[in-house]
Amino acid sequence: MLKPYDMSNIIITGPNTIQEAIIKELHELKVLHIVEHSKNELADIGKPFESAARLSEVLVKVRALIAALGIRKEEAEFELKKGLSDIASTTKKLSEELNTVLEELKKSQELILKNESVKQELEILKEINVPLEYFTAYKSLAYFTGYVKDAAALNEELSKSTKNFMMFHSGVKKRSFIVLFADAKIKEKAQSVLQKNSFSQVNFPNIANLKGTALTNLKKIEEENAKHGRKIEELNKRIWALKNEHKEFLLASEMFLSGQLEKAEAPLKFASTQSSFLVKGWVPADNLSKTIERLNKISKNKVFVHFEPAKAHDKVPVKLKNPRFAKPFEFFMDLYSMPTYNEIDPTFFVFLTFPIFFGIMLGDVGYGIASFAVFWLLKRKIKAKNFFNILMLASFVSMLFGLLFGEFFGYEFIHPVISREHDMFKLLYIVLAIGAVHVNIGLIIGFINTFKAHGFMTAIYEKASWIVLEIGVAMLALSYFKLIEVSLLVGIIFLVASILMLLKGEGIKGLMELPTIFTNILSYARLMAIGLSSVVLAVIINDSAKEFFHKGGFFILIGILILVVGHIINLMLGLLGSFLHSLRLHYVEFFSKFFHGGAKRYQPFGAKE
Amino acid sequence: MVADISTGLIALASGLAIGLSAIAAAIAEKDIGVAAVGAMAEKEELFGKGLVLTVIPETIVIFGLVVAILILNLAKGG
Repeated sequence: MLKPYDMSNIIITGPNTIQEAIIKELHELKVLHIVEHSKNELADIGKPFESAARLSEVLVKVRALIAALGIRKEEAEFELKKGLSDIASTTKKLSEELNTVLEELKKSQELILKNESVKQELEILKEINVPLEYFTAYKSLAYFTGYVKDAAALNEELSKSTKNFMMFHSGVKKRSFIVLFADAKIKEKAQSVLQKNSFSQVNFPNIANLKGTALTNLKKIEEENAKHGRKIEELNKRIWALKNEHKEFLLASEMFLSGQLEKAEAPLKFASTQSSFLVKGWVPADNLSKTIERLNKISKNKVFVHFEPAKAHDKVPVKLKNPRFAKPFEFFMDLYSMPTYNEIDPTFFVFLTFPIFFGIMLGDVGYGIASFAVFWLLKRKIKAKNFFNILMLASFVSMLFGLLFGEFFGYEFIHPVISREHDMFKLLYIVLAIGAVHVNIGLIIGFINTFKAHGFMTAIYEKASWIVLEIGVAMLALSYFKLIEVSLLVGIIFLVASILMLLKGEGIKGLMELPTIFTNILSYARLMAIGLSSVVLAVIINDSAKEFFHKGGFFILIGILILVVGHIINLMLGLLGSFLHSLRLHYVEFFSKFFHGGAKRYQPFGAKE
Repeated sequence: MVADISTGLIALASGLAIGLSAIAAAIAEKDIGVAAVGAMAEKEELFGKGLVLTVIPETIVIFGLVVAILILNLAKGG
C-alpha cells in the first residue's frame, strides 16, 4: 500500500555456452524486467538464436490466418503434439486452402457487382419492348435514348415535320423515358426537336452484347445473381468450418511461437562480447534469492550475478503493491501514468474516494441497483474485470447515498437525511468541504513526496505554502464577515507569508497559479450539480409519466414507455457523467497536487501481457 | 402562477449565466478534444492525459453554475 514493491537492480553475466539455458530459465521464472543494452564501444548487442528467423516467419503466417479467419483471442486448450515444423506445414496447408476459398469468394462478388450495373440499365429499358440487339450502329437509321418531360408533346411535334420515325416510351409521372428511331436524314432535325423538349441522353455501355428484350435479360441476370449468392453463402460456410476446426490449434500455436520467439530474440537486449554475455534488469527484492539460486543451479555455478537495491535516481520499473480490494483501482494508474518508484502510489486514495464521489453524483437506490446488475452481467461477457469491479463497487456506494438522499428512480421513497432536490445549498457547502479536504490531502501527499525527493525546506515552500494561503484567505473571509474575532491583519500576514513562500518555491509561475487552489476546491461543486441535474431529470420523467397514468386506458402503456425509456437514458447520462467527473476530480484536482508519474510498468521477461 | 417581471428577469439572468458559460466551455473543450483525440490516435497511452486536458475548461461551467445559484439566491433574499 502507498509504496510499490521493492526492486533490486541485477546484473547477470556468464559465458556464451550457458546463454540459452539462462534465457530459458529466466523465461520460466518470469521475474526479470530486462533493461535493454544499447551498443557501445565496450560491448555490442547479442545475436538472436538461429531459429528466430524461421520462428517469426511461421508466426506471421499464423497471425495472418488468425486475422483472416476472424478468430478472437481467448484461452486455448490445445496440446501441440509436435513442434515448429508441424505447425509450419499445417499452417501452409491451411493458408493455401483458405486462399482458394477467398479467391473464389472474390470472383463471385465481382460477378455480382458487374451484373448489378447491367441490371441498372435493364431496369430503365424494362418497359420498352425492343430487342436489345437493335441498339447498334446503323447506316440509314439514327436512334436516341433518354428522358424527356412530355413524350406525347414530342411525338406530336415530330409528326409535324416527318413520318419516318418510331418512338417507344415508358412513363414515370413527370418524366418519360423514350427510345426514338429516326431516318438518318432527319437526324439533325430530330435532335433540335429533342433539345427543345429538354432531352437528357442516357447511354447503355453494358448491354452491347445482349439479345432479346430487356425483361427476359433481367430475369436471366437475377437468376445468375441468386446462383452467385448461394455460392458465396457456401464459401462463407466453408470459412466458418475452417475457423471452428483450427481455432484452438492456431491460438495455441500463436502462443507457443511468440513464447519461443521471445526467447530466441532475447539476446538482442543483452550486451555481448565474443565469448560472454551480460544482461541488466530489475527483480522484485522478494524474488531475488530464489532467482539467484535457480540461475546458479541451471548453469552449474558458471554464472555471475551482481545485485544492489535501487538508488535514488534510478529509473526503476514499477510494480504496484496494493491490498486485494484496492487492486482494481490500479486500472486508473494504467490509464493515466505509473507513479515513479519513489513517490507515493495514490491507488489506495483513489479507492477510498472514487466510489464516494461517484455515489454522491449518481446517488439513487434504483439507479444503483440497475447499474450494479448491468455491470455484473457485462463483467461475465467482456473481459475487463478490474474496470467492472470498480463500477460495481461505485454502484453499490450509489445505493448507500441513495438511501441518504431518499431516492428511488427519482421518487422520494423515504424521508431523506438530506434532499438533493430541495437542500441544494446545504449539499453545496458539504461537497465544497469534501473538496477542501480532498485537495488538502493531495497537498499533504505532495509535501511528503517533495520532502523525500528534495528535502524539508523545498517541501515547505512548494506545498505547505498552499495550506498557509488557504488559512490566510479563510481567516480574512471569516473576520470580514465578523464570524471570528481576529483582526484582518492576521489574515493578511498569513496571505503575504504564503505568497512569499510560493515565490521562493515555484517562482513567478506560483504567483500566477495563486487562484487555482480555490478554483480547484470550487470544482467539487460538480458533485452537487451533476446529482441535481440527474434527480431533476428523473423527477420530470416521473411527473410526465404520472399524467398519462391519470388519463387511464391506453395512456397507461405510454406512461410505462416514458418511464422505461426516460430512466434508461437518464441512467446512461448519469453513469457517464458520474464516472468521468469523478475520474476528473482525481486526475485534475487531486493528482495535480503531488503526482509526477511517467515510470515504466514492471514487465517481467516471459510473462504474458 | 403569476410572477412579476423582476422574477422573470432574475430567472433569465441566471439562465444566461449558466448557458453562456456552458457555450464557452464547449468551444474550449472542442479544440482541446480534437487535439487530444489526434494525439491518442498516435499514442494510445495518452488517454489519461488527454482526458485531463480536455476537461480543464469545465471549470468555467462550474463558475457559471455558482453565479447562477448566487443570482437565484439574491432573488430569494431580496
